[in-house]
Amino acid sequence: MVLGIAILIGSLLMDRLEEQDINPYTIPGLLPALLGIAMTALGFLVFIRKWTRFKGVVAARAPLSVDKRTAMNRMLLVLGICVIFCAGLLGRGLPYWLTGGVFVTACILLLDNRRRAAGEGRFTSGKIVRAAVIGFVASIAITLVFEQIFMIRLP
Amino acid sequence: MFEGLSHLGTAWAGFMNIHSILYGLGGAFIGIVVGVIPGLSATLVVALLTTLTLKVDTNNAILLLMCSYVGTLYGGSRTAILLNIPGTAANAASCADGYALAKRGEAGRAIGIATSGAFTGTLFGVLCLATFAPLLAEVALKFGAFEFFWLALFGVAMSGMIVGDDPVKGWLMGVLGLFVSQIGQDGLYAHDRFTFGWDQLAGGIDLIPALVGAFGLAEVITSLANPLQQKVIDVKDSVLPRFREVAQYWRTVLRSGVVGVFTGLLPGVGEDTGAWMSYAAAKAASKERDQFGKGSIDGLMAAETGDMSSIPAHLVPCLSLGIPGSAPSAVLMAAMIIHGVQPGPMLMVTHPQFIYDVVAMTTLATITILIFGLFFIRPLIYVLRVPYVILMPIIFLLCVVGAYAGASRLFDVYAMLFVGVGAFFLRLRGYSMAPFVLGMVLGGILDKSLRRGLVLSDGSLGPFFTRPICMVFATVTIFTMLLYIPVFRSAVNKIVTLCVSSVRALFARTA
Repeated sequence: MVLGIAILIGSLLMDRLEEQDINPYTIPGLLPALLGIAMTALGFLVFIRKWTRFKGVVAARAPLSVDKRTAMNRMLLVLGICVIFCAGLLGRGLPYWLTGGVFVTACILLLDNRRRAAGEGRFTSGKIVRAAVIGFVASIAITLVFEQIFMIRLP
Repeated sequence: MFEGLSHLGTAWAGFMNIHSILYGLGGAFIGIVVGVIPGLSATLVVALLTTLTLKVDTNNAILLLMCSYVGTLYGGSRTAILLNIPGTAANAASCADGYALAKRGEAGRAIGIATSGAFTGTLFGVLCLATFAPLLAEVALKFGAFEFFWLALFGVAMSGMIVGDDPVKGWLMGVLGLFVSQIGQDGLYAHDRFTFGWDQLAGGIDLIPALVGAFGLAEVITSLANPLQQKVIDVKDSVLPRFREVAQYWRTVLRSGVVGVFTGLLPGVGEDTGAWMSYAAAKAASKERDQFGKGSIDGLMAAETGDMSSIPAHLVPCLSLGIPGSAPSAVLMAAMIIHGVQPGPMLMVTHPQFIYDVVAMTTLATITILIFGLFFIRPLIYVLRVPYVILMPIIFLLCVVGAYAGASRLFDVYAMLFVGVGAFFLRLRGYSMAPFVLGMVLGGILDKSLRRGLVLSDGSLGPFFTRPICMVFATVTIFTMLLYIPVFRSAVNKIVTLCVSSVRALFARTA
């Protein structure tokens, strides 16, 4: 709903190109304004529905269970790794096979559930080597296939 | 008619070379492998392969993409049968009966039925594509700005209504997609909209990075965040397709083919709807209704035929109107544009041979899935044994390449990341991404049609409602949306009940 209102305001404030003497029915903000109205109306409908459904139910939010907290931490970890890879590693002059290899290795090491389930908290050198081999073989293969065979530039 | 057959013959002859056959087999193989992995969709594989085919000639590139599209949906049924998890959304209807058969030790038989259903379904869809696409293309030449405005709106409204469980959320996603397509320079005056002075945004958000984000990255995050991986059931019996069962259940095959094609023709309504509607129709008509969900061959055949027959049907509005029938066909359409073929009403004028080429490609894709269904199913199942924690980061690397390769700019990778993370959270809240994609594709058409229409009518809204084709689209669109309002819906129900009881009373009196 908030986004809808913001779009509507943005559209109304948009330049109407009067100095170019364009047809007033072709102003650039016309469709975005209508979309803003539609989005506000639909957002309002979702809000009202949700509000009606939970009306009167003002229960204190239960603390997160251990399972849910673990799942949430894992999700945040996944998002963090992906964002660091895209925003932090790519486009810094490092070759793709290197950044990709580091990313896959890190994912395997940090997210391997079986290791955690087995209660193995520490990374053994064997597991690090195995993860690095998988990560770099995959990354180098992708780089070779795209750059050498299909002639496509990589970030 | 003979001209059409001649075009079709030329198209077939054009693909009878080793390069095309290898491209077709390669596309189908990649598609089946991706389809086997739960969560990875046809949209993702077509988007990723589009970047690989940038330097390949048009026909072979589209052939590869087409085979991967068909292959993904075919491969998805393997996971549905052996894991009870649909490989793609379209295979969800195959889960219940396929998995029940597999648990009884008849996994091979279930795979065989799925193969024969997929083959006959796609072939039926191809026949409809060859028949309807040129006809619709002729009709589409009569479409003007007013008709295209309603067609775009109709597509988003139908997609929002049918895809997912909640129409309001579907429409909201459709409107969001339409808005995202407005970001960047507008199509008439190249005026910057919602760019906030950021030059990179002036070009807008490209479809491929957005699709890779919505269907690839969101799935990678979902799979990595949820580490559970189920055990695969072993295939002990023969996986050879059962064409005797196709003959036995010919009514189901034909009915599901028709239902699949019908749903495929509706813009933005994916293959999963075709599968579910075929399944429901088969259940309603079947004598073994109580067996549905417990290993019914009728049910499995209906689901597989329904989803596969809708693939060629999705290409009918895509080729003749420039309105994609599903999310993967939206990427396919983008790939066609990248390769210099603009789908739409002018296609029969600018590239008259192309529709027949696509018919030949789809037939070839059908044959390739049969080949893989006959000979390579068992080795492909080993893909399911690779842990997600290894597979998904590698797929993420491919997503990054897929987003970047089109324009070689990092902004597209950031856009993919933004859309992907957004899609992940929206999916958690029950919002479907298909209407969003359709909105992104149709936004440009909607904007230009509205403004051109208003210029032509000098600001009058009359022609938007009074032209014959507009009247039909407007009535269906508005009526569909109004059905969501309880007062209107109950009034319609009352009228329908009244009509039915009057007709019954009339017949009773006559008798």
